[in-house]
Amino acid sequence: MAGRVLDAGLHLLDRQLVDRDGRLAGKVDDLELTIPDGGGPPLVTAILAGPGALGRRIGGRLGAWVEAVANRLRSGEDRRPSRISFAVVKRIGSAIELSAPKAELETDRLEAWTRDHIIAHLPGAGDAPD
Amino acid sequence: MVAGALLLLGACTGPVRSVDVYESKAGQTAEVAASAVQTALLAVDAAKGDKAYGRYLTQVLVEAEEDASSAQGTFDGIQPPDRRADALRGRLDGLLGEATDTLAELRIAARRGRFAELPELARPLPKVAEELGAFAEAHG
Amino acid sequence: MKRLFAIALGILTAIGGFVDIGDIVANAETGARFGMSLAWVVVVGVIGICLFAEMAGRVATVSGRAVFDLVRERLGARVALVNLAASFFITFLTLAAEIGGVALAIELATSVNYLLWVPIVAFLVWLVVWRVKFDVMENVFGLAGLALVVAAVALWRLGPDWGGLLHGATHPAVPQGEGHPTWWFFAIALLGAAMTPYEVFFFSSGAVEEGWSRADLITNRLNVYIGFPLGGLLSLTLMAGATLFLEPRGIQPGHLSQVALPTLLVLGKLGLAMLLIGFFAATFGAALETGLSCGYAVAQYFGFQWGKFVRPADAPRFHLILLVSIAAGAGLVLTTIDPITITEYSIVLSAAALPLTYFPILVVANDPDYMGDKVNSWFTNALGSLYLVLLLVVAAATIPLMILTKAGS
Repeated sequence: MAGRVLDAGLHLLDRQLVDRDGRLAGKVDDLELTIPDGGGPPLVTAILAGPGALGRRIGGRLGAWVEAVANRLRSGEDRRPSRISFAVVKRIGSAIELSAPKAELETDRLEAWTRDHIIAHLPGAGDAPD
Repeated sequence: MVAGALLLLGACTGPVRSVDVYESKAGQTAEVAASAVQTALLAVDAAKGDKAYGRYLTQVLVEAEEDASSAQGTFDGIQPPDRRADALRGRLDGLLGEATDTLAELRIAARRGRFAELPELARPLPKVAEELGAFAEAHG
Repeated sequence: MKRLFAIALGILTAIGGFVDIGDIVANAETGARFGMSLAWVVVVGVIGICLFAEMAGRVATVSGRAVFDLVRERLGARVALVNLAASFFITFLTLAAEIGGVALAIELATSVNYLLWVPIVAFLVWLVVWRVKFDVMENVFGLAGLALVVAAVALWRLGPDWGGLLHGATHPAVPQGEGHPTWWFFAIALLGAAMTPYEVFFFSSGAVEEGWSRADLITNRLNVYIGFPLGGLLSLTLMAGATLFLEPRGIQPGHLSQVALPTLLVLGKLGLAMLLIGFFAATFGAALETGLSCGYAVAQYFGFQWGKFVRPADAPRFHLILLVSIAAGAGLVLTTIDPITITEYSIVLSAAALPLTYFPILVVANDPDYMGDKVNSWFTNALGSLYLVLLLVVAAATIPLMILTKAGS
C-alpha cells in the first residue's frame, strides 16, 4: 500500500468491502482515526461498519436513533461500532479487499445471527444454486 | 402525503354546500352507473355468442352490480341541499333503482348458470344506459 | 446459432416482462377515458426507460456491480439513503400492487374471491424467489408474458379503423368534456407506469446475477432497444382495445375483467384464456422482480451479500428482506384496499419519485472509474439530462395535480 496517496473520503468511505472469498462484507461506514502517541497526523487504524457507525455518519435525529438501536443490540459489551482493523485490508481498488473471511469479522455478527436464527430454519437454505 | 390525499378523496357524506356540487356528484354517479350497465351489456353480448366462460361472465356481472350499488349507496348518503336537489335525487334514484334491479337479476341468473336467460333479462338495460348517459351529460 | 437463440430469448423475455399491473391499469383506464390522445406519453416513457435501462445494464456489465451498489459510493451515505428510502417505498408499493394483480387474475379464472388467493400468491412468489434459478425464473415468466400478444391479435382480427386510431394518437388533444388537469394527471400516471424505477434496478442487478461481462454489452443493448419498445407496443394495444370498445360506451375499467372485454369479444373463450395467462404471467413476473428489487435496494445500500447466485445461507439478510417485503406486501393487499387503487397510487407516486431514482444512474454511468471507456456518449448524456429535467417537472406537478383532480376522478 505504500506509495499511493488516497483521499479517505473519496476512496475509502462508503466503499464496498469484499472478503477473502469474494463475498460482500458491508460498506465502509466510517473510519477510526487514532492520533499516534508520539504526535503527528492521525492514522487510519480501522474501518467501522454497521448501524452504529452509519448512524453517526448520517447524523441528525435519524442517525442518533439508528445508533441507539445498534447500541441496544450490542448487549453487555462496550457500546462501540463494529470495527475491522486496517491491518486486515489487503487491497484498495474500486472495492476494499480484505484478507480475512467474513465469518472472522466483527461486522458479520448481524448477518450470522440472521442466518442462524431465521434463514437456516428454512428448507433449502444451504443448497447451492444449480 | 398519501394519507392527506386520501382524506381529500374520501367520499363526502353529510350536507353539500351548493346545488352545483350536488349536481356534479349526481352526474358522476350516473356516469359510474352507466359504465356498469354498459359493461353488463357487453357481457350479455358475449354470453349470446357463447363467447365466454361462465365464471368470467359471472365475475363481470357481479362487479357491475357492485359498482352500480355502491355508487347509489354513496350518492344516497349525501344530504341534498334544497328542493331542487330533491327533484334531481328523485330522478336519479329512479334510474339507479332500475339499473341495480336489472343487474341483480343478471347476477342471480349468472350465478345459477342460467346464461341463456341473460339476453332476455337484460332487455331494459339499453334504455337505462341511454337515460343514465343523458343524465350524466346534462348534470356532470 | 446458439448465440442467436440466446439473443432472441433475451428479447422475447424483455417484451413479455415489460408489461405489469401498472401498465395494464394505466393503459386501459387512459384508453377508455381519453382514447389514443395520450399514446405519445407511452412513447416518451419507453424511450426514457430504454435510455436508463441501457445505462444501468451497461454499468453492471462493465463494472460487475449493480447500479444501486455504486450510488452510495458516488453520492455519499446521506443522499443515497434518501434515494433508498424513496426507491424502497415505491418498489414495495408496486410489489403489493403486483401481488394484488396476480390474485385478481386468478380470481378472473376461478371466480374465487381474490383475497383468498393473496396468501397463496405471496407464498408462491417467495418460493420461486427462494428456490428457482434466476435465469429460469426470468425466461419462464418473460415468455409466458408474451401471451398478452393475444390482445394485439384481437386488435388485428377486428380490423379497426387504423387511420382513426393513428389520427387520435398523433393529434393529442383533450377530448370533449374532459378537463386539462385530468388529462395531464393521466399522462403522469402513464409515464410512471412505463418508467417504474424497479425495472431499472432489477435490470442492473439481473445483469450481475447472470454474470454478464463486456461480451454481453451488445445483448444488453438488443434486449433493451428491441424488447422494451415492443413491450411498449403491447401496452398501447391495451390502450387501443379500450379506445375501441370501452370509450364509445363510456365504460371506465375499474376491474381487470373489464380490461379483458375487448379481447374476449373479438376472439372468444380461447382469446380470453390466453389473455388471463398473460395477465397472470405479467403480474407474477413483476411480483418476483419487485420483491427482488426490494432486497437489492437495501442490500446494495448497506453492502451485505445479495443475489440469487449465492446460497440463501450466504445472503441471510437479503433473503430476510425478501421474505418480510413479500409478506408485508401481501398484508397491504389483505387490508382489502382495492388492488387497482394500490396500483394507481404506485404508478403516480413512481412518477413523483423518478428524478430521485434516475439521477444517480446518470451520474454513475458517466464515471470513468467504473465504466472505463464505456462512459456515456455525449448524446446519451444530452438525452438523459433532458429526461431528468422532464422528470423533475413531472415530479413537481404530480401532487398538486393529484389534489386538483382528486386523483383523476
